[in-house]
Amino acid sequence: MIDYKRFTLENGLRVLVHNDKSTPLVAMNILYDVGSRDEDPTMTGLAHLFEHLMFGGSVNIPDFDTPLQLVGGENNAFTNNDITNYYLTIPSENIETGFWLESDRMLELDFSQKNLDTQRSVVTEEFNQRYLNQPYGDALLKIRPMAYKVHPYRWPTIGMDMSHIKNTDLEQVKKFFFSHYAPNNAILALTGNIDYDHAFDLTQKWFGPIEKRQVQIRTLPEEPVQTEERILRIDSDVPSDSLYKVWHIGGRKSNDFYTLDLITDLLAGGESGRLYTKLVREKKLFSEINAYITADIDPGLIFVQGKLMKGIDIQLANGAVNEVISTLLDKNSLHDEITKVKNKFESSTVFSNTSILNKAANLSFFELLGDADLINKEIEAYNNVSPEMVTEAVGKYFKATNCSTLNYISTRKV
Amino acid sequence: MNKLLRIQPPVFPVEKVIIPEAKMFRLNNGIPVYMIDAGTEDIMRLEFTFRAGQIKENMPMLASTCNMMLTEGSQNYTSEELSRLLDFYGIFINLTAEKDRAGIVLFCLNKHIEKVINFSYEILFRPSFPEHELSSLMKKRLRWYLVNREKVQNLAMDKYFESLFGRNHPYGYQIVEDDFEKITQKVLSDFHNKFYTPENMAIIISGKIHDRTTELLNSCFGGMVAKAVNNYNSVNSYHGEELKKVHIEKPGMVQTAIRIGSTTINKRHPDYPGLKVLDSILGGYFGSRLMKNIREEKGYTYGINSSLSSLDLAGFKVISTEVGQQYMQKTIDEIYKEIRLLQNVPVAKEEMEVVRNYMSGEMVRMFDGPFALAESFRSAWEFGLDNSYYYRLSEKIRAIDPDEITALANTYYKIEELFEITAGSE
Repeated sequence: MIDYKRFTLENGLRVLVHNDKSTPLVAMNILYDVGSRDEDPTMTGLAHLFEHLMFGGSVNIPDFDTPLQLVGGENNAFTNNDITNYYLTIPSENIETGFWLESDRMLELDFSQKNLDTQRSVVTEEFNQRYLNQPYGDALLKIRPMAYKVHPYRWPTIGMDMSHIKNTDLEQVKKFFFSHYAPNNAILALTGNIDYDHAFDLTQKWFGPIEKRQVQIRTLPEEPVQTEERILRIDSDVPSDSLYKVWHIGGRKSNDFYTLDLITDLLAGGESGRLYTKLVREKKLFSEINAYITADIDPGLIFVQGKLMKGIDIQLANGAVNEVISTLLDKNSLHDEITKVKNKFESSTVFSNTSILNKAANLSFFELLGDADLINKEIEAYNNVSPEMVTEAVGKYFKATNCSTLNYISTRKV
Repeated sequence: MNKLLRIQPPVFPVEKVIIPEAKMFRLNNGIPVYMIDAGTEDIMRLEFTFRAGQIKENMPMLASTCNMMLTEGSQNYTSEELSRLLDFYGIFINLTAEKDRAGIVLFCLNKHIEKVINFSYEILFRPSFPEHELSSLMKKRLRWYLVNREKVQNLAMDKYFESLFGRNHPYGYQIVEDDFEKITQKVLSDFHNKFYTPENMAIIISGKIHDRTTELLNSCFGGMVAKAVNNYNSVNSYHGEELKKVHIEKPGMVQTAIRIGSTTINKRHPDYPGLKVLDSILGGYFGSRLMKNIREEKGYTYGINSSLSSLDLAGFKVISTEVGQQYMQKTIDEIYKEIRLLQNVPVAKEEMEVVRNYMSGEMVRMFDGPFALAESFRSAWEFGLDNSYYYRLSEKIRAIDPDEITALANTYYKIEELFEITAGSE
């Protein structure tokens, strides 16, 4: 049981505090309700580029990192489709420095041309490192637009084309800041060696004076229901063939979320998962195979991806994947395996919550979903999944007309 | 906005880290158990570690394959049964085969501790190395290997280790495709018999420790009879390659991987803590000189860092980055420039202050929670060191002066001794 208290400042900033005295550190997580889904299709990658700019100095503080390092702190951040999330840990005696730094960059950034130029180049190198310089690196760039035709999830967080961020100017950056970075569009979570009163006083002192802002209203196009099977083939100079399949599912808050999460664990949670057991261990069709769901807030995807063993035909492998999935329709076969994945989920949730950073990030994200108490209710939600719910969801989502398949084919004649 | 409110809060010195001591006791047959009782949750981390790393092998991949095969079938369970049982009890297992040591690390809820200890025994001491599992593991490993060899960072790092330790040394040799055919059931079980033995083993447990846990360990592992002590001598010297500068051409790459460094002292040497501070200043954290210069000033890369590591026979330091292919030479020139600066110009007081405090904060993080404590304990213990090593490091972080940094840079970063490995498209 994770105890926490919450309050909301007058300017709309939501705050959650969890006191854990077993650590000398405090974790501070600040989530902004803005991600790549909020971008203009002609300016993709801006939310992520912005995350980089947030370290380039704010209105009263020329450099974010140095003062933090000076108090023994450490920090990082990530951007995804839905959110931009900043986090740091600091020895508790110096936590006020964290408030000073985070509140100043919420107040206003130091919009510098030099910083923009450098970070555009850094992000281009990040794109090259992650997507272009790795075998199969571009597969995820190719499969998103197969599944999504209109919804902004069709482009990756880093941007669909590096020319978009190369063309970004300071005016656009400023506009983005003031329409998305605001106390009333953020959630702050504090966990670790800090008590509620101290957290409340410091939040009031540093974030209280920041005025509420006019946040851009989110109006996203709804993805139309897919009605035809989608298949794409890519030929590339890679060592072996690789198969990627996605199916549409509901959003993070939909009733089926934990059922689908459990289904991917039945399929690929550890080496006893059905895909591994059947296709890697028994039939030796794949050298590795994985399945997971995206935890996107808007309707997301189930992913199955695997690398084929030498000489295996990709159509055969694809058929075998579908066959394993359809074995989940036999609910009598599920009982023991469901107990197994439930035990594993409990265990991994307990382990994850030993980290103050994870607790802070989870509290913030669950608060965004509208229910911070999910941090204590997730195990129960997962445990409530029954064999009937599994078979029903398998029948509902794993249909060919709901699926996009990317066949990534090796051009090497080995 | 009230300007007064925006004044930087006072900076308090980071409290000196207090490290809980690990308690040691021996099982009935002498196997040492190190216990770190910490944390708030009813969970455990158990590590079983052996001197059974690469240094002990006489053919490439033997140590890692032996380690990976531990869960691929035993006297009482098939590979499939083992993975199903581990998953059923929510147990996470990491198989680790490093350059010097190998073993397993398990994470579990205490309610399953008895199962975990029994499975550990089965995995460690009753593996059956089934032929068909071995053959499929090697086929999978070959696929993974072929994918890894497509990545410039792996091409550069493999060559880097070869250059430092030599093409015939287990720390250094590179794997080739033929090696995947050479490992047999026989060589695995020989290796296992020699090195996965009670006298070659230590147990490190951390988390919430119940009396039952130690009793269970004793009843499971304490009755094993130690074999006659065999001194399987491993190699104890290495010879780096002659060629300091190597480029591996890989056509069509948009980024080039760079690795620059050399062997150096390891943790047992009194200069090591000081060298850690120097390494941090050069490239060990986000505010380091390399990160500021190559990423934050010039934007040549997504990341650059330097690191200092310890092996039993030697330490090594390496500067690592992937840069836009067109920035390769400029980046290399800047790396040497930064090293020369550290050799010639004392670090300013302000920068010393930042690195001191940052590293003091890192030390707090290194001992925060049962898992971090166990890892920190392990990485000193394996060099025959105890917490006094960390207290010396902590003291050095506080007290080192800029002249000492300069002197260390001159002693340990001689540019003519550094290897320079690049992989990418020229």
